[in-house]
Amino acid sequence: MDSLLLSQYLIAGLVIGIIYALMAIGITFIYSIMKMINWSMGEFYMMGSYLQYFLVVYILGPHLWFVGIPISMAVIFFVGLYIQRFLLKPMFVGEMERKDEYATVITIAMMVFFRNLAVVLAGPNQFAPPDYASPTYIGPLPVSGNRFVALVGTLLILGLFYLVVRNTWVGRALRGSAQNRVGIQTAGVNVLRVDQIAFGIGVSLAAAAGALLAPIFLVWPENGAVATMKGFEIIVIGGLGSIPGSLVAGLLLGLVESMGSVLISPSFKDVYGFGLVLFLLAIRPTGLFGERQRVA
Amino acid sequence: MSLLSIQDISCGYFEGIDILHDVSMDVGEGSFTGIIGPNGAGKSTLLKTIFGFLTYRDGEILFIDEKIRDLSPFQIKKLGISYIPQGINNFPHMTVRENLLLGAWTFKGDKDRMRRGLERVYDIFPVISSKRNHKAEFLSGGEAKILSIAKEMISSPRLLLVDEPSAGLAPKIVSYVYEFLRRSHEGGTTILLVDQNINQAIENSEYLYMLEMGSVSLEGSSQMFKEKLKEIIRDSLIGA
Ligand SMILES: Nc1ncnc2c1ncn2[C@@H]1O[C@H](COP(=O)(O)OP(=O)(O)OP(=O)(O)O)[C@@H](O)[C@H]1O
Ligand SMILES: [Mg+2]
Repeated sequence: MDSLLLSQYLIAGLVIGIIYALMAIGITFIYSIMKMINWSMGEFYMMGSYLQYFLVVYILGPHLWFVGIPISMAVIFFVGLYIQRFLLKPMFVGEMERKDEYATVITIAMMVFFRNLAVVLAGPNQFAPPDYASPTYIGPLPVSGNRFVALVGTLLILGLFYLVVRNTWVGRALRGSAQNRVGIQTAGVNVLRVDQIAFGIGVSLAAAAGALLAPIFLVWPENGAVATMKGFEIIVIGGLGSIPGSLVAGLLLGLVESMGSVLISPSFKDVYGFGLVLFLLAIRPTGLFGERQRVA
Repeated sequence: MSLLSIQDISCGYFEGIDILHDVSMDVGEGSFTGIIGPNGAGKSTLLKTIFGFLTYRDGEILFIDEKIRDLSPFQIKKLGISYIPQGINNFPHMTVRENLLLGAWTFKGDKDRMRRGLERVYDIFPVISSKRNHKAEFLSGGEAKILSIAKEMISSPRLLLVDEPSAGLAPKIVSYVYEFLRRSHEGGTTILLVDQNINQAIENSEYLYMLEMGSVSLEGSSQMFKEKLKEIIRDSLIGA
């Protein structure tokens, strides 16, 4: 096997892996604060991709695709805030008893609802926005322009996410809520507001993935299903609740899929990922970075 | 003048099962009030209710004449009440400094007040001052407890609710913590202390309430409690 082709697959794997990681970080981020798994994550990916398609094709024009991505993220952030406020927050108010199981069920209902809403509004067809960029090179290696854009875009978004969570008051409150829900309230933080912001940020990461990947994986009502599935595979590999775990596991999954495709056969791409999941479950059920025990 | 007035409150964790039954208490401005009682009497439940973690079903709680029904903990904190729960209550993966900054959340816009608050807390608790850039998870049990206290003190509360501050701590830290409570009280903070350590509670408080099975069974000055100490200890050991 020639090394140029191999390194090309390697890069493709890393690119796709880091974008998978974006989904997984969103899921893990929401979970670590609300202790709720958002099963409709893929539908926010889907909404992000539709929004981006709409913006690029009807409003901004093909050259301003990069303006569409922050707009899609911002819109889905606010959609997330409202959905959390009206559908999920009622499950968390009152008494100290938590009803996160109910909230989780609601996210499953949302998944079904949004998929069908997309069919009603835009039909079952697939749409493809114009390419973001023409093929380019990383060093001597040719890569697809769309993938290159997705890589750079994801790195920028992850960098921004990191800065917000590390250095701002909101970020400190988000981390505090994840670490000690009683302690954040005795500090005087409105924890239900923090939940809301966490949900908004988490789903806007999914929207970013949808918008960045729109020219590669296209735009259709169920395009989020694959992204959700990969997101959860990554969480099993990296460990639920761990953001570094999501990042490492995302890259790992991307690499395994891509190396499997080139070394064995591309038709079993999804199987390699599952193989990795099964392998990890066997040797380290908590995931690479997962906590050894879950309290309560 | 009464700073906190608890009037006939009844409440519990589930509908139809009350833990507290018609509890009334009066906490005067600048006072040091103690609550004692056997395990499961509802002492912690009462503090959780005052701080808004639980809503009361019946009765009323007034803080400076304002009803606090339906207020959430973050709103209660803004009124000037701080709550130090039992055990350790900090953010393990954050530094001591970041923990304290979160304690200053309610006045995060006021840089000056925040700086003064930090300085004051570091001054009172040199133990954590020297570890300000350490993660809280690497502190010893005593240091972690002190951080949990400092985090709630940085806002200079008018009323401090303290739940079993000495539980599980080494004797040296215990006396340090009580010393700190006494000094805060001298500094003007009103203190409502829940304690199983009857001696310490009587020693430090001016007025005490005894809670048993969710009701006030005895109240009076610390002098009175001192005189009845033998009976109280005997009763609480039997759990009557
Ligand atoms: N989160 C909860 N959910 C349901 N019931 C609770 C909860 N916390 C406490 N209880 C019940 O409320 C009653 C009073 O408990 P509480 O913790 O207030 O007692 P306490 O006086 O603080 O006792 P201790 O001295 O052991 O701390 C007990 O019967 C307890 O089982
Ligand atoms: Mg208690």
